[in-house]
This record gives sequence, C-alpha cells and structure tokens, in this order.
Amino acid sequence: MSIQSKLIGKEGEDAACRYIESLGWKVLDRNFCSSQGEIDIVAEDGQFLVFVEVKNYSFASFGTPVGAIRAAKKKSIIHAASTYLHKKNISDVYCRFDVISIYRDFEGKKNIELYKNAFQMN
Amino acid sequence: MFVKVKSAALSGLTGYIVDVEVDAHKGLPGQSIVGLPDAAVKESRDRVKAAVSNSGLDFPPGYFTINLAPADIRKEGPVYDLPIAVGILASHGIIRASLLSDTIFLGELSLDGAVRPVSGVLPICLEAAKNGIKRAVVPKDNASEAALVKELEIIPAEDLSGLIGFLNGGTKVKPHTVDIEELFSKEPEYELDLSEVKGQFHAKRALEIAAAGGHNILMIGPPGSGKTMLARRLPTIMPPLSLSEALEVTKLYSITGFLSSKNTLVTKRPFRSPHHTTSDIGIVGGGRVPRPGEVSLAHFGVLFLDEFPEFSRDVLEVLRQPLEENEVSICRALTSVTFPAEFMLVAAMNPCPCGNYGDRLRECQCPSWKIQRYLQKLSGPLLDRIDICIEVPRLGKEDLVSCPAGETSSQIRQRVSKARQRQRERFSASKISSNAKMTPKYIKKCCLLEKPAEELLKSAVLHLGMSGRAYDRVLKVALTVADLDGSQVIRENHIAEAVQYRNVLIQKCSAII
Repeated sequence: MSIQSKLIGKEGEDAACRYIESLGWKVLDRNFCSSQGEIDIVAEDGQFLVFVEVKNYSFASFGTPVGAIRAAKKKSIIHAASTYLHKKNISDVYCRFDVISIYRDFEGKKNIELYKNAFQMN
Repeated sequence: MFVKVKSAALSGLTGYIVDVEVDAHKGLPGQSIVGLPDAAVKESRDRVKAAVSNSGLDFPPGYFTINLAPADIRKEGPVYDLPIAVGILASHGIIRASLLSDTIFLGELSLDGAVRPVSGVLPICLEAAKNGIKRAVVPKDNASEAALVKELEIIPAEDLSGLIGFLNGGTKVKPHTVDIEELFSKEPEYELDLSEVKGQFHAKRALEIAAAGGHNILMIGPPGSGKTMLARRLPTIMPPLSLSEALEVTKLYSITGFLSSKNTLVTKRPFRSPHHTTSDIGIVGGGRVPRPGEVSLAHFGVLFLDEFPEFSRDVLEVLRQPLEENEVSICRALTSVTFPAEFMLVAAMNPCPCGNYGDRLRECQCPSWKIQRYLQKLSGPLLDRIDICIEVPRLGKEDLVSCPAGETSSQIRQRVSKARQRQRERFSASKISSNAKMTPKYIKKCCLLEKPAEELLKSAVLHLGMSGRAYDRVLKVALTVADLDGSQVIRENHIAEAVQYRNVLIQKCSAII
C-alpha cells in the first residue's frame, strides 16, 4: 500500500470519527488489529458496541459500500471483533457491525453515509 | 431470553409437534439454526431477517440460537419461517409470550413480511388437536383447510405486522370457520354424465358393477370406441365420499400441495389418469422424502391407466402390491412411510398395436408376433387382479346416429349406492369397504351360492382353468351382481355374468395366462 493511499485512508477515518462523534457516539479505539484483521473504529452507541469499517472513495461510488465488503473482509473484521471482545473481557454487550462510506460526488462535494447493521456473523 | 414457540412437521401422513426454541444472548450479531435443518430451513434466517425489517421493525440485536426440537428428526421446508420470526421477536419482548404456549405457528415468510401458504396444514392441525393445542396460526390461504379441524381456533395470518398486532392484543382477528355440513350437504356436481356415451350398454353395465363393488376393470377395444369417455364418467356413478373418507383424501392432497384456498375439502371421488410415460416412483410415490404417488392420490377414487400396455413393465408390476394391500409402504434411507392406496384400477387398451384386431369394420394389419409382444407387456399376475374385463366394440354408423342416450349418472348412482349400503352392513364389523376387498374368510361366509350356481361355477373352473385367485374374484363379482339385484344369495345368472367378464380376459389374453 502506498503512503498516499494510506493517507487517504487515515483522512477518511478521521472524518468518520468526527462524524460519529457528532452523532453522540463515543470513539473507544482506532485501528485495532488482530492476527487476521483490523477494525477501523470501535465506538459506543448507547447500549451498542459498534465496530465500524470505513470505506473511503476518492471518486463517486457506484453501489453501496456494503457490497464492497467481501466475504473475506467480513471474516477478518469478525475475527478482529471477537479478539477485541476477548482481550477487553467484554461479554454482556450487544454488538453491531456498521459501515461508513465517504465519497466525493461529481461536483467534488464530500458525502458521508452510515450503514447501520451492515452485516452479521455466519 | 429464552422463548419456546410451537410448530409442526410432517412424516408421511401424520404430523408431529416441533418446538422452535429461541435463545437470545448478547455479543456479536448473528443467528444459528440447529436441530437437523435442511437447506430451506437454513435459508429461513435470511427471509426472517428481511421480513422483520420490512414489517417496519428493527431486527433485534445480539446472537440467536434457534433449536428445532426434537433434534434427531430432519426438518425441511419453509414452514418454520413464521415460528422463528415470532420466537425472535418474543425473545426481545416485541411480542407478548402469553399466547405462545398453546398455539402452533405455520407459515413461510415472504421478504415483505407477507405470510405465504405451505403444504400439509390439515394433517398437522389434526395432530395438533390431538396434542391438546388450542390455537393454530396458519397462512390465510390455508385457513379454510385448517378450519376443517373443529377442535382448533384457526387464526389466519396475512402478514407479520398484522400477526404481531393480534398477539399483542391490539387487533382482533376473527377465527376462521368452515361449515363442513354445508360442504357435504350438496350432491357433488359433475360436468360429465354417463348418458353422454352413446350405446355401449354392455360396458355401462360392467362399469355399474365395478362401481358397486369397487372392482378393477379392464376395457379392450379399438381406438375411438369410447373407452376413455366411459372411464372418465366412472366417478360420476360412484357413491359420494363419506366425511371420514373425504378427510383422508384431503389429507393426501394437502401434503401434496394440491389444495387451493377455494377447494378446501375434496368431496368428489378422485380421478387420476397418469400418462403412460410416468415412472414407477410417480405411480407408487417416493423421493428422498417420500411423497404420495398416483395410487395414493387416487385413494377412494379411480386410477385410470389409458393405453395400458404402453406403460413400462416396472410401472405395471409395482401396481400389484398396492392392489392387494390397499396401501403402499415406502422406505427410504431417511424415513419409512405408509400411504393409503385404496383405489379402483380402470385400464383401457387396444386389442393389438394397430387397434383393429377383432373389429367388424376394419382389418387388422398386425402380424401375430406383434400382437403377442404387445400383450406380453401385461403379466399374468397383474391380469389376475382384474375382476372385470369387457370388450368395447366400435359403434356402427347407424348406432352413432340413432342410439338412445340411456340412463343418467345419477340414476345409476342410486342403484350403486344401494348396493354399497348392503356391503357396508355386511362388513360393519370389519375394515373392509367393498366386495372387491373381501378377505377369504368373508368370501366363505358371505358368498352363499344356490345349487345350480354352484354347479355352473364348478364347470366354469374346469373349462376355463382359473387360478385360485381368479376363482375368488369371480365369486366377489358375482356377489356384487347379487347386491345390485337385491338378492341375498348368489344365483345362477349372477355367476354367469361374473364368469363372462372373466372369460373375455381369458380369450383376449390367452397368449399370456
């Protein structure tokens, strides 16, 4: 991965954090890594522990970002999430997997969209 | 939280109760279904999720373990969609659990939350009533069928949101009821009538005897002589089904999924005429999970095999056992089931491949070896099970124009019903339904012959070389003729008529029996 695309990713995640904080969520962790995957943002939304995957596009996207998350990516996120729960010794909490997509439309305006409960285990 | 919702499944013709247990706990979101589900049951996860979201509800968070108990029987089909959805919603308190303990839920969910019809609702509801269940929530299209079970309160479910409203006590749903007496009060109306067949009085008489005694019949005649027409009109002269018979036939049609929301109770005798390319499995039933075949769908009715020798040998041979036992047992690796198959076999065939052999008007083109090969498709043991064999000759030109119409079906049906009534009284102590199904014990007891009749039968046996089974069959037919005649004993003319029906078979098929 080039430094440039890493920067784009970083910038997107910053924007996503600002966005979910504006919704009243609390960001708990960023870029949590397990042996098999990474979670961009771990946040708290009321009773929910939310694992957020940020999809940052430098162009207008076609289709939903949920479609951009393939089975292998899902698996790695789920693996990372269960590692997170295990490490922090959390068991009694409802969890959710959300996706935030950030893209510029044709006029160059930045858009942020949140997809709650984008996917689940199995 | 843990919730138990009752549902049911089918094994052959009997239902059994399945408990759908839903356990909700916190953690990563997901669902797993256990308890030997097949692919359709596993897919219900996705259908339930979409149906709940599209009913205007948030799908409850957390992980759900869904168990279908008893866990050792394979579960199949989409019938668990509705109970799973109800269980998931009840485990989060979205549905009140107060009504769940004595209610069964059946139904497939569509993605928009509508409840779609499923098959086998009637046998399941009968079983539920036996198990002390008070209420059944069934798809709206299956409601009339389920309402035949009087002991249950039937709640028709149109969509998930409406059902949630009902279970939470918000909306009232009127229990669906059907007036069985009304369904039975009218005489069944048939579009066909035996008076439409011109001439063929001999064949009509034979059909009347066959209908009166439940005898198997074989019609041999050239093409266009009216064999198929006659056979199609046979159910119209048979007595109407009794309520218990109708329920049994309806059960079979319910598991096959042949019932429509309008036609809930089968009140007419079934008439099945499978094409001669039908496989043996299609005839007796089968499949990985056995389903009833044509012999069972013709239960209490008529199984008509047109172009009899064109059926494959396998198909004809598998008929032998159900013809004797009135039921078929189908064993597969997964399960073994028994379907009832008490039917009347009506077969029609040409006398030779070209169809004109023995015709007065047209000449037969077939070499004799061809005729022999054609007839050899029918085995001796199979023909032995045929009680009545008749020739249906081609009508001449004058007959076609001037022949009188003859009696209507309802006139004949009255005589047939009277004869059947005598049989019901005769066999009131046993399970036997008609003369054709008599056991040897009853043949001895009920077939009282006059002296000349006995003499005639003896000489017939001697001259025609009948098998033991053929002898019994002749006696049975003679008894039916006597019943139609209103006679207590079998007279000479009754025996003569019965022997004559046997004689045709012997002469026509001398090559093989």
